[in-house]
Amino acid sequence: MRLGRLASSLALVFPIASALHESDVGVVDWHKKLVGVPLTSSSATAPVFHRVGEETTHSVILTATASNVLAAIFPENGTVAWRYIYESGDNIASFHIHKNVVASLSGPGGATLRTFDILNGHLLLEQRIHEPSHGQLYEPSHLGTSVAYATEGSDLVVLSNGGFVQRLDNLGTAKWSWNSSDPSALVIFSKVVTTTTHVYAIGLSKTPSSYKLHVAVLSAGTGELTQLSDISSSITAGLNDLMVVRRADEVLVVWLEQGSLKYLTLSPNLQSSPTAVKGSAFKRIVDVGLSEYGQFLAVKDDGSSRIFKLDGSALKSIWEFSASGNRRADPIFSGGRDKKGNPYIAQVRWSHALNQAAVDVYTGHLGRGVMTAYTFPFDTQSHGIITHATLDCVNPSEMTVVSRLAITTSTGAMQLWQQNQHQWTREESLSTIAVAEFVELPEKVDISHIPKERETFGQRLQRQVMEAQDFPQYALKFVKRFATGSYASASSAAVAPDSAGKPYRDAFGFRQVVVVATPYSKVFGIDSSNGEILWSRMFGLGWATEVGGSILPVKLYVTQTVHDGDSPQVVIVAQRRAENTLIDTVVYHIDASSGENVAPGVVDKDVLEGVDIISGPLVESFILPDHKVVLMLDEFLQVYLYPDTKEATASFTKLAPSLHFPLRVNVDGQRRLVGQQVSLNAELSDRFVAHPTWTLSIPPSEDIQTLLPASHEPIASFGKVLGNRTTLYKYLNPRMFALLTAPKATQPASCAIYLVDSAKGSVLHRTSVPASGGVCDVHMSLVENWFSYYYYDPEFTGVGQSKGHRMVTVELYEGSQVDEKTKSSELSAFSDKLLDVSTFEQAYIFPHGVTALSTTSTKFGISTKDLIVATKNHKILSIPRRVLNPRRPNRKVTAEEQEEQLIHYDPLIPDDPRRTLSHNYEVANVRRIVTAPALLESTSLVFAYGLDLFFTRVAPSNTFDVLNENFNKGQLVVTVTGLAVAIMVTRPMVKRKRLQERWYQ
Amino acid sequence: MVPWIASLLLLGWLRIVIAFAVKGDILWNDICPGPEKLGRSKVVLDEGKYYGGIQQDGKFTIPGVPAGTYVLSVSTHDFIFDQLRVDILNTTPPVIEMHPYIPGTPLNPPSSVILPHPISLVARQKHNYFVAHESFSLLAMFKNPMMMIMLVTAVMAIGTPYLMKNMDPEALEEMRASQAKIASAQSAFATGDFKSSISALMSDEPAAMPQPQPKAGPAQNKSRSNKNKRR
Repeated sequence: MRLGRLASSLALVFPIASALHESDVGVVDWHKKLVGVPLTSSSATAPVFHRVGEETTHSVILTATASNVLAAIFPENGTVAWRYIYESGDNIASFHIHKNVVASLSGPGGATLRTFDILNGHLLLEQRIHEPSHGQLYEPSHLGTSVAYATEGSDLVVLSNGGFVQRLDNLGTAKWSWNSSDPSALVIFSKVVTTTTHVYAIGLSKTPSSYKLHVAVLSAGTGELTQLSDISSSITAGLNDLMVVRRADEVLVVWLEQGSLKYLTLSPNLQSSPTAVKGSAFKRIVDVGLSEYGQFLAVKDDGSSRIFKLDGSALKSIWEFSASGNRRADPIFSGGRDKKGNPYIAQVRWSHALNQAAVDVYTGHLGRGVMTAYTFPFDTQSHGIITHATLDCVNPSEMTVVSRLAITTSTGAMQLWQQNQHQWTREESLSTIAVAEFVELPEKVDISHIPKERETFGQRLQRQVMEAQDFPQYALKFVKRFATGSYASASSAAVAPDSAGKPYRDAFGFRQVVVVATPYSKVFGIDSSNGEILWSRMFGLGWATEVGGSILPVKLYVTQTVHDGDSPQVVIVAQRRAENTLIDTVVYHIDASSGENVAPGVVDKDVLEGVDIISGPLVESFILPDHKVVLMLDEFLQVYLYPDTKEATASFTKLAPSLHFPLRVNVDGQRRLVGQQVSLNAELSDRFVAHPTWTLSIPPSEDIQTLLPASHEPIASFGKVLGNRTTLYKYLNPRMFALLTAPKATQPASCAIYLVDSAKGSVLHRTSVPASGGVCDVHMSLVENWFSYYYYDPEFTGVGQSKGHRMVTVELYEGSQVDEKTKSSELSAFSDKLLDVSTFEQAYIFPHGVTALSTTSTKFGISTKDLIVATKNHKILSIPRRVLNPRRPNRKVTAEEQEEQLIHYDPLIPDDPRRTLSHNYEVANVRRIVTAPALLESTSLVFAYGLDLFFTRVAPSNTFDVLNENFNKGQLVVTVTGLAVAIMVTRPMVKRKRLQERWYQ
Repeated sequence: MVPWIASLLLLGWLRIVIAFAVKGDILWNDICPGPEKLGRSKVVLDEGKYYGGIQQDGKFTIPGVPAGTYVLSVSTHDFIFDQLRVDILNTTPPVIEMHPYIPGTPLNPPSSVILPHPISLVARQKHNYFVAHESFSLLAMFKNPMMMIMLVTAVMAIGTPYLMKNMDPEALEEMRASQAKIASAQSAFATGDFKSSISALMSDEPAAMPQPQPKAGPAQNKSRSNKNKRR
């Protein structure tokens, strides 16, 4: 008996009914593994093809990305071969490839060296080169870092921090080190080259007008400095106009000096003097990635460019690309090699007018040089412009060159083109999502049988006969479905009816559109059923097209849903930052099911055009409670409405007196939280202007960090009936918001968390938690009367204390005791009962660090709300509300409490893998979790984004409104058939028996 | 015994910095046989300010850790490792002490067990994220106790008449009598006449049937009512 009770209580603690089945993987969820937008500004981090192997070769595209990831991508299909995610603060400075190893330097000044196996991404070595706190912060970050491989063996020569050279073996042990500890010279060494006998470190020092070249010669065996000299030179563009070209042991430093190309042969005694290439003037030199093979490119003043080759110890011009015409953009150059190691150089010129890119590939080893030219169509309207290209070539037969190009675009996409064939596209800007929201799709309505106005008898007969011919098919389908068919269950795939072009929802509303906008000027509509991109649009720059600029989406509002009758619409509020530093606020209004522009009076030419609302930055924006009108505030707190129609103004004027909102404003150099209200003063302005009504008095040592408004969702119950038949009424103040403040100084190192009413600024709840390392890494969630937050507790000296991750859950109830009711949801903001609130609070130890928190949301709010947590070890967990009930008793559970389904308080939230929604998927660096209701009350959709995208659906109270997936139709059929057979067998028996009874008794 | 290791990094700018490096390795076992299975993992101190990646050979180094007390854990996706308490004492020579630590227990006082540094860690468990489907099999269905009871009842219902037929008439009579007794007791219970029901059970003789009250109709045996009618 006792055992039974124990088992049942265990089942209460670990409800496994909601756990995943292996067959659900990829059916109810999807995961998009992303790497981030490639860093194309420098060749030290830009994408590059690399081929490994002798006979059978494998190639990968290696790149460092803006999401601080080093990634290898398979060129065949565009999938991620491997990726290494660096921590924040340990930014990738540069990576260097050699055979089947890639080495990266990261952190300030290149503080950490890591080497990876190029094909499987295994970390071979991780070595701290110098303390990050001693690192020099150079701009760009690859400055002062370099890695060279020893000509023999597997040793590495590492240059970091602009002058610290070390030779390391493959276990990370330093064989020797050299430090250019000469603070007066101010030389920043940026390149290191090895020959069999010597190591050359090449650097620049700043002179008043330009840069001067310095070379240090070290012995390769001992690291002894044999020569340190400055070369008389004047390089204006610094490192951009300097490169090192080598071929075997012949090393040349090449630089551009006032339009002329100069070079210097490096020798141990540095006795040679700089030589100038005779002839034309050049404006820049380009490292195409073939410097190890003695080739590079220099662009002339007229736009044409020359390929140079290291021949002996001199430079030789071997080819000239002609200048691109006016209609094409500046060319992009890239070098590549084939299986045998022969070098190729490509020039990619993209044309906006022709909507295509022209590629010229120069092959040096065939005859006296062969040029292959082709064009490929490049869709500027959806991918912007080409920012980078990298080349890979094969030479299948004599005089045939097949090349493939991996290009990176200004919208953050990576594409692979094999000649003019498009192979794949990776939309890497999805790793930088700024705003995202679920939008419901319309239902497909069959409208084929609507009769015409006047139909004669003959016409009707004809129509009905026509329609009836489908009947046998329908009947057959019906019988089949009745007898054998499986029904759509909560765990089946969301299959929507076939549709030509237009997307429709499935039976349960699992298929919705996730509209996401990225700072790479792109907005996507993602199908929530499978993660495919339904549509994508590029933001137009408006008047800033002439000068260039960028669009940063700030807010996304759903202004029209399918329940309003028409197609669903969203409004994106964005800041446009033009190159001439002007900032404007622009609104884009689109149809969420197709991506079409629905802003009245705006016509798209190529890209999505917006409506300029404020000629200046946006301070804050809201959507009015009717979900139709967007309100925006400019710097002078003037109110702008979108759409700016008479109805919108009228409804806003009606609402204005009851609008209260908090704003972060600077008062005397301090950020303060000020409550605002809007009013119209016709004498001063024709617009409504916000004016302060209250200021939150927080201590001057605290600074506002995060402001989290309560999420407004349908509330099904206003109270909680306890085991003793009393009721706790939920405190449901719709104006409540959570506020997090961070300490300005390290002392006192604590973060404060407030729950504030936005109409009066009354503090409803306040706590302070320790700031670990002076940083407030607190994540909060506020829904209904339930507030939960996460923090890290570093204190351990007290009795019974321990360092660890904490999850705190707070519930607010009306009044000071049970059965006390203040009707908080309808209470006036100025009622004295507003502060009549009691709180229940409990803290738990959480096994992992947390990056984002959210709660599930359902259509009517009847299902319990689970907490969805994204952890630092790349998982998405769901924690049942019952585990986080702050009223869990700290003693034996009484019968009354058992009736309430309360469980005994256990400080540790167990790490139950069956509650991992993301199971085997690695969902990295989640920044936000968005939840949305499906049409089924039991089910909530969950979308998490950060570096990766992840979608799943959860049923916190189990799927009570659909047939359970465990429902066994087979069993039912077998039982019913069995009973029927039993009846058939027993009926004659019973009949016979009765007859006998009548005769013989 | 492997001695403790503290790395002394002498860097430029004429500054001497003493930083401690916590070192160790992951020993591959049946649960986690190699770096492919382990995936990207790192060893972190506290909430992750100090960390070190796990190399292909299982080794890790957490560099630049100042003196203090930390909780060491392995941040990995699929496996569970033990947590440790790490004490770095700022003495000369510096000492790194490692103690076992169970999450959810107080950190102080440390466990009296001191583990060697560099430390060796092994995977304790692999996460299983899935539950198996309840599969349908006829055998499993009939193993269900409810189904078994149903089956037995069915067999009884079908088999009893045949059993009765083959029984000795005397034994049959005896059984009839006892059945009648039980039936009468049952009907008496149903009508609330406990006294007569108990007496009916107690008496050896087949007692006279207590007159059933009109309400107790359903409790009556159908075949008997037929018999009455005929009389």
